[in-house]
Amino acid sequence: MGYAWAAGASVVATLVALGLDAYFHVVNVVLVYLLAVVLVALRWPRGPVIAVAVLNVVAFNFFFIPPRGTFHVDDPQYLLTFAMMLGVGLVVSGLTERVRARAKAQAALEVEAETERVRSALLASISHDLRTPLAVITGSASTLAERGERLPPEERTALAQSIFQQARDVSELVTKVLQMTRLEAGAIRLQRDWDSLGEIAGAVLRRLRERLATHLMMVDLPDDLPLIRVDPALIEQVLGNLLENAARHTPPRTLIRLRAQVSGGELVVSVEDFGPGLAEGDLERIFKKFHRGAGLGLAICRAIVELHKGRIWAERLPGVGTAFRFTLPLETPPSVPAEAANPA
Amino acid sequence: MDSRQTILVVEDEPEIRQFLRSSLHAEGYRVVESPNGRRGEIDAGMHKPDLAIVDLGLPDFDGLEVIRHIREWSPMPIIVLSARIQEHQKIDALDSGADDYITKPFGVGELLARVRVALRHAVQPASGRELSLGSSRINLEKRLATKDGADVHLTAIEFRLLACLAKHLGMVVTHKQLLQEVWGPTHVEHTHYLRVYMKQLREKLEPDPVRPRHLLTETGVGYRLVADD
Repeated sequence: MGYAWAAGASVVATLVALGLDAYFHVVNVVLVYLLAVVLVALRWPRGPVIAVAVLNVVAFNFFFIPPRGTFHVDDPQYLLTFAMMLGVGLVVSGLTERVRARAKAQAALEVEAETERVRSALLASISHDLRTPLAVITGSASTLAERGERLPPEERTALAQSIFQQARDVSELVTKVLQMTRLEAGAIRLQRDWDSLGEIAGAVLRRLRERLATHLMMVDLPDDLPLIRVDPALIEQVLGNLLENAARHTPPRTLIRLRAQVSGGELVVSVEDFGPGLAEGDLERIFKKFHRGAGLGLAICRAIVELHKGRIWAERLPGVGTAFRFTLPLETPPSVPAEAANPA
Repeated sequence: MDSRQTILVVEDEPEIRQFLRSSLHAEGYRVVESPNGRRGEIDAGMHKPDLAIVDLGLPDFDGLEVIRHIREWSPMPIIVLSARIQEHQKIDALDSGADDYITKPFGVGELLARVRVALRHAVQPASGRELSLGSSRINLEKRLATKDGADVHLTAIEFRLLACLAKHLGMVVTHKQLLQEVWGPTHVEHTHYLRVYMKQLREKLEPDPVRPRHLLTETGVGYRLVADD
């Protein structure tokens, strides 16, 4: 590619030089060739630079140095011109290379700093999310242990209940952090198998039935959805996280709709809520893992979907509400032999 | 003679043994505790428990070994306790003869429900009985099914699937077990058969096939048939 540019630059320079030749001294013509060398050097490494310098020297020699139309050189002064042209080209090329390398190193440093920033933000967010439930657990448990027998039974039960709930939340958070860490480390290999979105959805809705009971759930899955080759446990997590996220961020009795359709060789799965909706700027930000609360869940969703070569995004629904959609590539499922008409 | 049912708990964490002991005692079971796999095998032989709860992450050797050894001489129901990341171990445990699993952390209500189902099933196997799934009735022996009083035609494979699930009523049956029993050992990898036939069964028998209440999916593991009492 660089060599094609070198040849092109040399041809253009020669044409321009031939145009100028009638009005200007041959020394100025050399400058045109020099400009071509510098331009190539700014963009390409050594090889093409040497090529353009040599081509220019040959063309300059042939068209402009007496005797014109030959490769013969009468005046040894021109040898210096050639050397200078090559020299300038190499110096410029070397300089730009160094600038480019430095920019690259700078960018790498910035990525590292960003990773570090994300990591500490994540840590801060997690410890915040852990501190409250742990305080509740410690307080309630010590009350039960030290003052238990002086409390009426219903208060004891209430304390025990809240320990149960908070501990469950902590456990879920820890599972999520672990999951995110494993996803980021590339430690998760997909256990793909043929599965049906309908079944995965059924299992999720059952697992989350208590948590979704406050909302109106609508399931809209076409009857003829094709089978998908996915890691079912991970896709169940994606659906679960999206549904939980919708329930957590919308008021009770808001409608949440789970939909799926085939479009352009992909399966598009949507979790739509008719809640207050997101600001335009938040649509992308909520997938970042340090975004408090929902962030980890959605970051996990993104990592899992991308592992499946799909895409995930959020969009505002016209009017009111938010849609979270993800795609899964479709493959041709293996056939299932038809059952004999008269069973044995 | 003590008429209470005996439950063997093979678990290395004393705190987990403690709360299992409290809740099982409160339900009226006798509890034998083993802190490791070796001890668990000995206790299983000595106490002849009615059911065993086995943790998969034991310090001395794999919970799978305990399950295999118990299975060599006893059909007692076995419930395994597994951590969430032990997805594969869980399936291996079920394929090695465990009847059900529960993932840590769990509420004790969940565990006691599993224990009750497994014990009841051990006393009175479900095959031969009529299955009642909401408004559907299935007689596996006579190969008859109705929904809301109307006859439902089930194919031979659909009946075989139901029968296989009913043998472990209320408990999980892995994909491999179902495929092996219904289609044969050369088809154990063909999970897509199950997807197609389970969908058909749900459409024929479940009131709301999208949200099944009887033919349940255990994602990535298998299926569980839950009948009304």
